[in-house]
Amino acid sequence: MSAQYTVTATPQAEENGAVELAVASLPVSFGPASEASATAGDAAQISAIDGAAGWTTEAIKAIDGGASGIVVVNPVPESTAALLDAAEASGVAIILDQRWASNPGLAGAEDPVRSVAGRAAMLDSVATAAAGSDPERLLTEHLAAVVRVTGQLDALQVLRRGTHGYTVSGRLANGAPVSLQGVLSNSRPAGVDFRLYTDDGGVSIAVPEPLAAWPAEVRATGPQGEILLPTLYESAHRATWRRLKEHLDAGTLPSDLTAFARLTESIAHLY
Amino acid sequence: MSSHSPATPLGSLQPLGVGILGAGPVTQAIHLPSLARLRNILEVRHIMDVDAAVAESVAARVGAKHSTSMDALLGDPDVDIVAICSPHQFHADQVIAACRARKKAVLCEKPFAMSGEEAARISAVSAETGVPIIVGAMHTFDPGWLAAEANWGDLPETAHTIRSSIVLPPNARFEDFATEIITRPASGTPDYRDVEVVKNALRGGIMGLAIHDLPLVRRFTPDFEDLEVLQARHVRPFGYVISLRAGERIIELRAAMNKTWKPEWTFEAISDDSALRVDFTPSYVQAGSAVATITRGTTSTTYGPYEHNGYEGEWRELAQLALGTKQPPAAESLINDLTFAIAIADATVDVAAAEYANSHAGAHS
Ligand SMILES: NC(=O)c1ccc[n+]([C@@H]2O[C@H](COP(=O)([O-])OP(=O)(O)OC[C@H]3O[C@@H](n4cnc5c(N)ncnc54)[C@H](O)[C@@H]3O)[C@@H](O)[C@H]2O)c1
Repeated sequence: MSAQYTVTATPQAEENGAVELAVASLPVSFGPASEASATAGDAAQISAIDGAAGWTTEAIKAIDGGASGIVVVNPVPESTAALLDAAEASGVAIILDQRWASNPGLAGAEDPVRSVAGRAAMLDSVATAAAGSDPERLLTEHLAAVVRVTGQLDALQVLRRGTHGYTVSGRLANGAPVSLQGVLSNSRPAGVDFRLYTDDGGVSIAVPEPLAAWPAEVRATGPQGEILLPTLYESAHRATWRRLKEHLDAGTLPSDLTAFARLTESIAHLY
Repeated sequence: MSSHSPATPLGSLQPLGVGILGAGPVTQAIHLPSLARLRNILEVRHIMDVDAAVAESVAARVGAKHSTSMDALLGDPDVDIVAICSPHQFHADQVIAACRARKKAVLCEKPFAMSGEEAARISAVSAETGVPIIVGAMHTFDPGWLAAEANWGDLPETAHTIRSSIVLPPNARFEDFATEIITRPASGTPDYRDVEVVKNALRGGIMGLAIHDLPLVRRFTPDFEDLEVLQARHVRPFGYVISLRAGERIIELRAAMNKTWKPEWTFEAISDDSALRVDFTPSYVQAGSAVATITRGTTSTTYGPYEHNGYEGEWRELAQLALGTKQPPAAESLINDLTFAIAIADATVDVAAAEYANSHAGAHS
């Protein structure tokens, strides 16, 4: 049996990443660092930090403090170069817990999307968050989820953005139009709706909030009918922690930071 | 009808006589099956088409007279209500002629006309003759939409985002579920490398497809004259991605028509604290009404599905208009719907041409 890892979380990480619940749902793999060990100066093995501006600096501090794994909750775009170096040098696993992109259902969507991408006619995606949310943050979370399944998008451009949302245009590799719309409202379910249309069907994905173990719904439509991919009743938070455990046990380093560097670059080009 | 005569209940009299100009797929697959459901109030009496064989064969299906001349149909005293189902370019003149013939009510298939000038001529004749006119934007007569309208409260004032998304299989798929079509226009393979072809496809997309729901959009767009196109892109083989700002509101129009079997036709209006979503049934078939969902905060109420769709709704409305039991819609509102569509089509085509030039310049560099 593999070891149980001890965990600490900053209050912000706890609030935004429901760390306690995720850890409690993986009780063999993780456990809270005990007060006794904390007062004795034994650092927990895993640090959960919030992804607000400056998170890469916080993560480097955690590495310096001896963490062997780090979970970053909802990171905002910033340069990850120094952190990537530090993580590689020390062999520390850094995993990102992204609001929608970390939903475990998206892994299964990659294949159906890739297999029709060459025939894509249009990608139409709408992300919804509560009224009053920060539209820039919403766009980062939205784009992260979309590129997770499509790979890099071309010619991204913000057409408008304001207190009610945004519209971003882009192109798929085959030239098909992409539209990413953000809507801020308390009366449209928060989440990402993704619709890729081909000449005879397409793939649709509905990604729910990580607040509960609602499954993403991935549907592949073609001439034979429509397939609903197996639903995974696991929140993005829990899937993130499970992924961390897999890397820790295998001694591998996740590629989250590398993918996030590309996202940061795309976002930087937008503004 | 004099003001003190009691309203005549539908079905208590002789059915009203219907005459149809143009007997193509829309007449065959949409109107005749809808009218077959309303035999107690409406009776098809005259079918006219410039193609004599089509006129004769379609008329025979319903035991009506047939002709190849509009004047013959308009001069037929058995015809109370005229439906105009010819190609777009004839609509305005035929509406005007039907009004001048003092018919009891006129249904004009969408679009109402192709230019503001035509719309103004229709408006003048409608005012002069008092003949009620409705446009075959069937979703505006859909019981699901009407239930939403009765319950959406102040959403037209508070909505900040409007979406219309249309994904449709080829028309023939649904025409064949609705009837046995005898004529079908030949379809070509457009060359989308030609910017003029793209411009025509987009204009056709707005005036032929988006136009169905632009009257719905306009209900949530008080500043419809203050219009800016943020993007207009063509979707292959037929469709569009269009983003508009109208006053303070954002309007997103999406359409894809291709070989899929799966129709999706939705309309949404969204404010900070409430939202409307309407899921429409596909065109041509008698698949019941739309389902409307109104959400306030996190509580949703659903309306429908009801048994009949907007096509049947528009014929019920026509019967009431012809009997004088219902007030006709203001001609101004139909004209505003049309000028809104034309403004979007014009601006869209310009933006698309510019975008096309850009992307092709990029491809050479
Ligand atoms: N409401 C809807 O769901 C819906 C759907 C599709 C089309 N439409 C509209 O309905 C109309 C007809 O569509 P369609 O697909 O049947 O078109 P179509 O062009 O295939 O058929 C029109 C018919 O009109 C005849 N015609 C041509 N010129 C005429 C004239 N001057 N007078 C009388 N008849 C004439 C043609 O011979 C043909 O039989 C169009 O305006 C279209 O925009 C409505």
